[in-house]
Amino acid sequence: MREVRDDLGRTVKIPRKLDRAISLAPSLTEMIFAIGAGDKLVGVTTYCNYPAETASIEKVGDTQTPNIEKIIALKPQVAFVSTASQLEAFTKTLEEQGIAVYVSNPKNLDEVFKDLGQLGDMFGRSAAAEDLVISLSGRASFVRHQANYHAEGSDKSVEKPKVFVQVSKEPLFTIGSDSFLTALVEQAGGVPATKDVPTAYPKLSKERAASLNPDVIILSDSDDNREPNLAFKDSKAVKNGRVYRVNADILSRPGPRLVDALEEIASKLKEKGK
Amino acid sequence: MQNRHILSWFVLIVSLLLALLLAVSLGSERLPIFDLSDSQAAIFFDIRFPRVLLGACVGASLATAGASLQALLRNPLAEPYLLGVSNGAALGTMIAFVFFEQFVFARPLLAFAGAGLATFTVYQMARSRAGMNVERLVLSGVIVTTFLSSIIVLLTSLLDAARLRGFTFWLLGDLSQSTMNGFYMTLAGVVIGTIVLTSQARPLNLMMIGERDAMDFGVEVGRVRMIVFGMASLLVGTAVAASGSVGYVGLIVPHLVRLAIGSDNRLVIPFSAIAGAIFVVLADTVARTAIAPRELPVGAITALIGAPLFIYLLKRS
Amino acid sequence: MLEAKNISVWFGNRSVIDNVSLELEPGQIMVLLGPNGAGKTTLLRALNGTVGIKGGTIELDGKPLSKLSRREIARQIAVVAQENETKFPITVIEFVLAGRFTHGAAFGWESADDIRAAENALKLCDLDEYGGRVMNELSGGERQRVVLARALAAEAKVLLLDEPTANLDLAHQALMFRLVRDRSRNAGASAIVITHDLNLASEFADHVVLLKDGKVYASGPTNGVLTKENIAEVYGVQVLLDSNPASGKVRVTTVY
Repeated sequence: MREVRDDLGRTVKIPRKLDRAISLAPSLTEMIFAIGAGDKLVGVTTYCNYPAETASIEKVGDTQTPNIEKIIALKPQVAFVSTASQLEAFTKTLEEQGIAVYVSNPKNLDEVFKDLGQLGDMFGRSAAAEDLVISLSGRASFVRHQANYHAEGSDKSVEKPKVFVQVSKEPLFTIGSDSFLTALVEQAGGVPATKDVPTAYPKLSKERAASLNPDVIILSDSDDNREPNLAFKDSKAVKNGRVYRVNADILSRPGPRLVDALEEIASKLKEKGK
Repeated sequence: MQNRHILSWFVLIVSLLLALLLAVSLGSERLPIFDLSDSQAAIFFDIRFPRVLLGACVGASLATAGASLQALLRNPLAEPYLLGVSNGAALGTMIAFVFFEQFVFARPLLAFAGAGLATFTVYQMARSRAGMNVERLVLSGVIVTTFLSSIIVLLTSLLDAARLRGFTFWLLGDLSQSTMNGFYMTLAGVVIGTIVLTSQARPLNLMMIGERDAMDFGVEVGRVRMIVFGMASLLVGTAVAASGSVGYVGLIVPHLVRLAIGSDNRLVIPFSAIAGAIFVVLADTVARTAIAPRELPVGAITALIGAPLFIYLLKRS
Repeated sequence: MLEAKNISVWFGNRSVIDNVSLELEPGQIMVLLGPNGAGKTTLLRALNGTVGIKGGTIELDGKPLSKLSRREIARQIAVVAQENETKFPITVIEFVLAGRFTHGAAFGWESADDIRAAENALKLCDLDEYGGRVMNELSGGERQRVVLARALAAEAKVLLLDEPTANLDLAHQALMFRLVRDRSRNAGASAIVITHDLNLASEFADHVVLLKDGKVYASGPTNGVLTKENIAEVYGVQVLLDSNPASGKVRVTTVY
């Protein structure tokens, strides 16, 4: 056994050889697969749908309501969780069964990279994790560099586009100052239209939405969020056809594919409208 | 006596106009009074104006339904939200939303049906050989409310979570999804409902004294009961289909109206309609502006005022 | 004017009224007597159609009650029942105006006639200044007089009174019976009264019906019905009978 510190600063005892783990968050599942330790996962949530191999892994309920009996029956050494909700009772039960609970809750790209390194360390995949972080951070830097060059380079008159990220159409939810997507949009070369609105995912007044008049609207793609809210009907984004759908999974999961999201947003921001 | 009524009508209607004026002049965006730009005009006419109008209709519907159910059930604590009528309408709306999304009228129709069914169930549960007492009615309402809530939770768990995500917010009462169509539908409900219920105000005055007394003095009690249940369900159904369950309006407003002008339903019912409109319009103005540009659900504001009043009334009764 | 022929009432599978017949004539005061549970209130309720009958017929002015609407019945028959408390602040005048429901349209406001009738009824019941007071703030006796005033305001030909004097002081008991009697003498209005006070019954009744276990035990003029034997059989108490020195009517004294 050895001691590590998780993202909440808790000291967690982890076996030196970790070969049975469960993940209670899709983002963590993706991270563990990305460092090549997916075969160590014996249980994941029903939301874990990426990569395809997750389909054959035992499901232990969803993130909010994991099935604790099932978790214990799977005899994992460590449970990886992303949320502190109900942590106390949950952790106590699992620890009585000799199952360690490790909290990984990255809030931005850099923390994703840091947590990938820690996971690599725990699963004995340090080298793979390091390679992955180098590659991912390289791609991210390239996007950031390009975005800044694009805006501040030769043509000073080109302004950064104002970007509205629509999380849900009705009621109208968006991203606020505390969301990692706000930082991501900035890195992609856009100005997040709602970056000063408090909290991570606020319900926004439609009056404000209409008066924001964004250049670009990004829809977190899901059944109830295929079009921009009617409040945007006269916005530049709608008039110029600059409304884009981006896979909701890569937007909502602070994992390795956040870099995909960054690239995708950056490329959309470079597109010309009608 | 008649002169006093005319004065009351005047005061209420002027207050309503002032409340509407205040509501349309406040919002998360500051708009000039004259010379609106195109985008400002869009904010005013497409977003703020329909929302204020819908809020007025929802308030009028819920307060009228509350006032007449109270007279019918002889209980000032009867309230559409607390009796489970709103939840019945919410479940109806949800079923329409999930299974009949393509039909425009499915939402109000099923909301109406759900409200009617919930009303009837509570009534059947609350009446006993000994008549209907406060505790029995409140308890029946709690049971029906929680039963319907659990079905709603069950449906949200079974069905695609993403599609119903907005629903949980909406259930608390939310006017942000206002459209002119929603307004027209609720307006139709409130006009029909208020007129029909006001026409039953005199028999309701007798029923408020006692069902048996009303029968003795010539009221067709069964018919009046059917009309009131039907119209209250229509009012709650159309209001909930448009804005979710805004709670306690039907409790607070008729109570205040009775304090001001007494318990004659010929005044209480139409006055509750106007005062309900004023109340929800003002509550929603708070919801829209308190933490702008973010928003609160209007149901949270009304419940904040209504729940303590409910406790006070229960203690006193 | 109100006639019941062989009527029976069942609550579930229990017979409450069994084959009762009676006929109320214009201007007549009929008193229903009998111990608790004899079926007096049920019979009274059946007579205005608010309790359903299983057998027999009830006719009002020769028309079967079952063919009349509640409104048509209430136009002819007014009721003074035990008042149940209301949680709403209803004023005395509003309460009394409920008696005018069958006059004029079913909706809208009361006419000047209605107001006049209500105020007059209040005056008759010694409640001149009570119109604006709230029902819940009155004493039991005052409320009972308001209930009587409501029935008087209806200006119906028949009054049905269920223990109208239960909460009243001596003066108001006498006032109530005088009111009922004056109406029958002067306006030809008739009344059926339930009471436990055998002396009041004797004093005011033209006709007495003595009920026992849902059946008519004895019926007729006071002297024939209020006999020692009948009272002993129906109530199970011994009484002495003599005559009231003021009126000459039968006076009943219980022997304890």
